[in-house]
Amino acid sequence: MPSSCCGYLSQYTHHHLVAFLLTFFSYVLLHASRKTFSNVKVSISAQWTPSVQNDSSPAFSPGETWEDNHLFANMEEATLFLGALDTIFLFSYAVGLYVSGVIGDRLNLRYVLCFGLCGSAVVEFAFGTLVEWLHFYNIYLYCGLWVLNGLLQSAVWPCVVAVMGNWFGKSGRGFVFGLWSACASVGNILGAFLASSMLKYGYEYAFLVTSVVQFAGGVVVFFGLLTSPKEVGLSLESETGLRPVESDTDSHRPLMSDEEEEDEVEQEACDGGYYSIQQPEDSEPPEPSPKAITFCQAFCLPGVLLYSLAYACLKLVNYSFFFWLPFYLSSNFGWKEAQADRLSVWYDVGGIIGGTVQGLISDCLGKRAPVLAVSLLLAMGALVGYSHSPNDQVVNAALLATTGFFIGGPSNMISSAISADLGRQEAVRGSKDALATVTGIVDGTGSIGAAGGQYLVSLIESKLGWMWVFYFFIFMTGGSMVFIIPLVFREVSVMWRDRNVSTHQL
Amino acid sequence: MNAGHIQLKSLLIISITNYYLFVTCQLTEIQICNRCNGTVLNNTILGQFCNNSVGFVKGRCCLLKDKTGDPEYVIGLDLSNCSLSNVVDLQGASTAELIDLSFNPIVILSDSVFQGFIQLSRLILPSNLECPGGNVSWGTVKVEGGNIICEEQRNICNQTGQLSLNCPESSLCAPYGPGFFECSCTANHHGYKCLREGEFPAVQVFGPLGATTVVVSILLWVTQRRKAKSV
Repeated sequence: MPSSCCGYLSQYTHHHLVAFLLTFFSYVLLHASRKTFSNVKVSISAQWTPSVQNDSSPAFSPGETWEDNHLFANMEEATLFLGALDTIFLFSYAVGLYVSGVIGDRLNLRYVLCFGLCGSAVVEFAFGTLVEWLHFYNIYLYCGLWVLNGLLQSAVWPCVVAVMGNWFGKSGRGFVFGLWSACASVGNILGAFLASSMLKYGYEYAFLVTSVVQFAGGVVVFFGLLTSPKEVGLSLESETGLRPVESDTDSHRPLMSDEEEEDEVEQEACDGGYYSIQQPEDSEPPEPSPKAITFCQAFCLPGVLLYSLAYACLKLVNYSFFFWLPFYLSSNFGWKEAQADRLSVWYDVGGIIGGTVQGLISDCLGKRAPVLAVSLLLAMGALVGYSHSPNDQVVNAALLATTGFFIGGPSNMISSAISADLGRQEAVRGSKDALATVTGIVDGTGSIGAAGGQYLVSLIESKLGWMWVFYFFIFMTGGSMVFIIPLVFREVSVMWRDRNVSTHQL
Repeated sequence: MNAGHIQLKSLLIISITNYYLFVTCQLTEIQICNRCNGTVLNNTILGQFCNNSVGFVKGRCCLLKDKTGDPEYVIGLDLSNCSLSNVVDLQGASTAELIDLSFNPIVILSDSVFQGFIQLSRLILPSNLECPGGNVSWGTVKVEGGNIICEEQRNICNQTGQLSLNCPESSLCAPYGPGFFECSCTANHHGYKCLREGEFPAVQVFGPLGATTVVVSILLWVTQRRKAKSV
């Protein structure tokens, strides 16, 4: 064991480390800027609306300080628009994911990645800072900029995963990707801290800092990223005899978090050939490359539809927490926006721990769906508990971390479970293209579900209040569990059957 | 003192706006002083007040200049016997300490006429009208010779027994004319709804950031990409 451990590590050079860190931090910065938007929602809606008077007393003077901005007449309308912006962003992000694979096919990975990072940074600067400095508030401008932002950001994820795929072959991928997929949560935490520190100077400065940092990240990536070992003449690590898709460790293999899988299809598109070199790893004669499965065939594979729908529900809840939590905390408990931002970090901490721990547990058990189902059941309880949280920051943080553990965990795990299960299916054994296409379907459905959910959350909140939003989340988590139950039965019956077979043999 | 180019830009915009305001103000001041014919006589209330204050008369106004080169401003206004029936605004006279509107058949005196008139300490109105802001806004209210004299404008912020004048967070109540108040931001706060606090430390944030970016880029380029072959 120790020798293989050391052998495992010795195949990595400092180039691997840099590639890991650069791709990790690219996605961290991207998520940080998304988090900035959600964390300054209260300040932005205050900027867009005139002051509200409780009784019929006259408006405050001077008008320039209290009354003059009326992009929206009141906070409710502003909230609805913010929900619409989230939806618009997620839809354009989902569309962009399909398109960026095609684009990345023809161009250098590094250029596309930098273009995405820097372009998105410029658009965010225009959205948050420039508009405020010019005092030019316009609904169509906001929507247009945010669509552009979604399209530009969608270029980043496929390329970072493609680069990771180039550098880390199958033998080390499970552990490395598991560690690497914490980047989204780390990005959320960083974004929350940046936003809360800069918020007191004005929300436009929060946008300014995150977009400048993101742009700087793009510059560093441009100068420092090697997209593949081939660029420095390193040969790709030889695969050390791990049978593809059969052992349990391989279930970690393809990609741990949702969008990763989908990138396999973009990987092959993005890196124009680097990835395919990794395929013939054994000494067997190279098989003819598997025909890519069509969209409809992939959609009809058993389990795909169920997992897609389950993931749509779960990603809705996960993203709603991500986008709306600070707003909820400050409007429900009256806490200052900066405090609420810091508190929302605990959800991400819970998610990181949940993904890791539940991944380990399901590894040991060898089964994923039961772990998911149990976690989702407990998540419903956690949501109920959180919706009744007292007005106390410590208790709230603890409940938040628990909720993040039970919701973020399955969300991170669902995609690895999908790829594992699908990879084992008879019909598509060994066909990478099926994996990628299927993950694309699952993640695309998830993103669309999340997109629709954002608008629903703001609508429910403005008409019915926050308690109904929590009921909606609980309903969605339950729905996700309902879709997973058939898969649980299937896995449990397989386990049962295997146990009967082995007892018979004894 | 921050010397960001943002400050410079806003300074430029402010000075241009101020120039235009100044020019229009000058024109408006002249306008209000010529609202009706005649001039201020020595034996009137305003005439005596003007002499005492070392101001000079121009039309129906008493003007004052702090220093040569400063713009002149109105400290007294006498529009008595002007056949005014409709007083909607007295633009340009917001700095006045004494305003005389007596002997006018005023039917409509708009509520917001005296908004912003924080210096106004004596107001003479025809007796059919009430002191703006009610009697509670003034220290002394007298009726003399067919006119109402409202004296010693009170600071509405200090008064108890009024509906609670809660200014929103980060702002303080300040008087803004008889019966009016304004909420102005506290010392450190500024901006719309007084939400912004302090000055953004641009140098402290962008200095280290720029330096780090440059250093890391060079370091990575030297260790990683310098030997990269185009593939």
